[in-house]
Amino acid sequence: MFGPATKREGVDGRRQLTALAERGIYAAILPRCPVRCTLRLQILVILVALAVASRAAAWTLGDPDSPSTLDVHGFVSQGFIKSTANDYLVDSSSGSFEFSEAGLNFTTQLTDRLRAGLQLFAFDQGSLGTFDVRADWFYLDYHFKDWFGVRAGRVKLVYGLYNDISDIDAARTPVLLPASIYPETNRYYLLAVTGGELYGFVNLNRGGGLDYHLIGGAIPVELPSQIGAPEQASNIDIPYIAAGRIMWETPLDGLRVGATGAVLKLNETAVFAPMPPMPTLPPLNAHAVEYVGVLSGEYVGHNLLLAAEGGSSRTTLTDDQPALVPPGRTVSGGGYGLAAYRVTPWLQPALYYSVYWPNVDDRNGPGKFQDDLSGTLRFDINNYWLVKLEAHYMHGTAVLSGEQITMGRENWGLFLLKTTAYF
Amino acid sequence: MSSIRICAVLLAFGAAIYAYPRRVRAESGGPFRVIVNTGNPVDAIDRRFLADAFFKKTTRWPNDEAIRPVDLAPSSPLRRTFSEEVLKRSIAAVKSYWQQVVFAGHGVPPPELDSESDVVKFVAKNRWAVGYVSPGVNVAGVKIVVVR
Repeated sequence: MFGPATKREGVDGRRQLTALAERGIYAAILPRCPVRCTLRLQILVILVALAVASRAAAWTLGDPDSPSTLDVHGFVSQGFIKSTANDYLVDSSSGSFEFSEAGLNFTTQLTDRLRAGLQLFAFDQGSLGTFDVRADWFYLDYHFKDWFGVRAGRVKLVYGLYNDISDIDAARTPVLLPASIYPETNRYYLLAVTGGELYGFVNLNRGGGLDYHLIGGAIPVELPSQIGAPEQASNIDIPYIAAGRIMWETPLDGLRVGATGAVLKLNETAVFAPMPPMPTLPPLNAHAVEYVGVLSGEYVGHNLLLAAEGGSSRTTLTDDQPALVPPGRTVSGGGYGLAAYRVTPWLQPALYYSVYWPNVDDRNGPGKFQDDLSGTLRFDINNYWLVKLEAHYMHGTAVLSGEQITMGRENWGLFLLKTTAYF
Repeated sequence: MSSIRICAVLLAFGAAIYAYPRRVRAESGGPFRVIVNTGNPVDAIDRRFLADAFFKKTTRWPNDEAIRPVDLAPSSPLRRTFSEEVLKRSIAAVKSYWQQVVFAGHGVPPPELDSESDVVKFVAKNRWAVGYVSPGVNVAGVKIVVVR
């Protein structure tokens, strides 16, 4: 909901800010990164692969009778994307294997109430991933009471039902979460917040329970190399983000409903290379504030999963060169409905329909809407290995990038194959 | 008039949820027994409390001591029964829940032991543990509690 998934071929200041105004903050700041498979990633993948191969279960180090053990979990994923037209996330029209993820996490209970954890993560997805290993999350968690705990560090952004697991293929049925609420760009910029979190679960007895999270902090944005680009972002930062989610776990087992609200600010400075005979433009400083709201409902009962979410965001853009990039306010919106049923322990089909409007006041025309009808087959080969097949019928081009938004084919298909090993 | 009907339907729905039967078959003659350490003063557990304890949403006994749930391996038929009757989810759905929790960094699942005798030993050794076993298993050293 913070902006649709897009790919940028370079950091184009004016296009960025136009995109920022029209399509949300994160559509605007996606530079094309060179793919670098570093030694660190290789080490991470080898570690995870060894763990999966040698003992396909979570490692628990230390005395299992003691609460102070070290739990180790990990996963590796590899996917393939092919579209019938348009390039989505990667060069999908040609078919692409640039769809890889690996993660390894460590959690330990230091005392009765104090826990610490760290997850290393690397991924490649077209322009969104660079294969660099980074700390996905790390925290110290002090659990005062069930209804009140504190986490500090880099904490996952709890947003809607699934944002905090949007990088974990094994934790969901579809390969791609509905882009109306969970644009793929969130995986890079809005997965975790450096700051803190207050959380808790309030038992309402026969009234169910209330689960809440309040998160605040900043999101550091690392700019990749832009050598050779005619327009460059010299600085992008998100100085603050505040988010809260409250979820009522109803007395009906497995049924939960709730709401998420968030506000964040983004600052950007763009510089323009001289382009004679045009006069050199001075640097452009822009600021955007985005407010987001999402309503969520989910039912998980025995083998059935039903979920629906709807949301809206309002982005206000201001800058110091209004003649170049006019300030403005845009409201985007969308939602989805999802159903999944585990037919057998090894087969779970899922369907969802998602709709998204970058500007709810202008819903007609190229790039003004996106309908997505998706079907998934998830095969759990065993407890540690799964394979997914997924097909999307896309109507619209709002989730595409660059010229494809207005020039792309309106009706297109997307096919994904993905396999994940985890423990 | 239509708003009154909607309110009536919502009220009926709420009343149905409130009155939803919560008894499980663990009380007597059922397919499993819930066990705690003999030093635990608890004699009866609400089914929802037990489910929240195994999901680690509720982590404290009423006396504020930390609950230590212990599970059986996913291949265990008894675990399947316990999951369906107490957690109201299939084992696969429970696994999916823990994958979300684990990889979001919000916690780790209960330890999974290979046999029911191991569960009895674990509960006997850990004062604030809770587990489940079949009715025929020797439960010397632990205490069976009623699940409401």
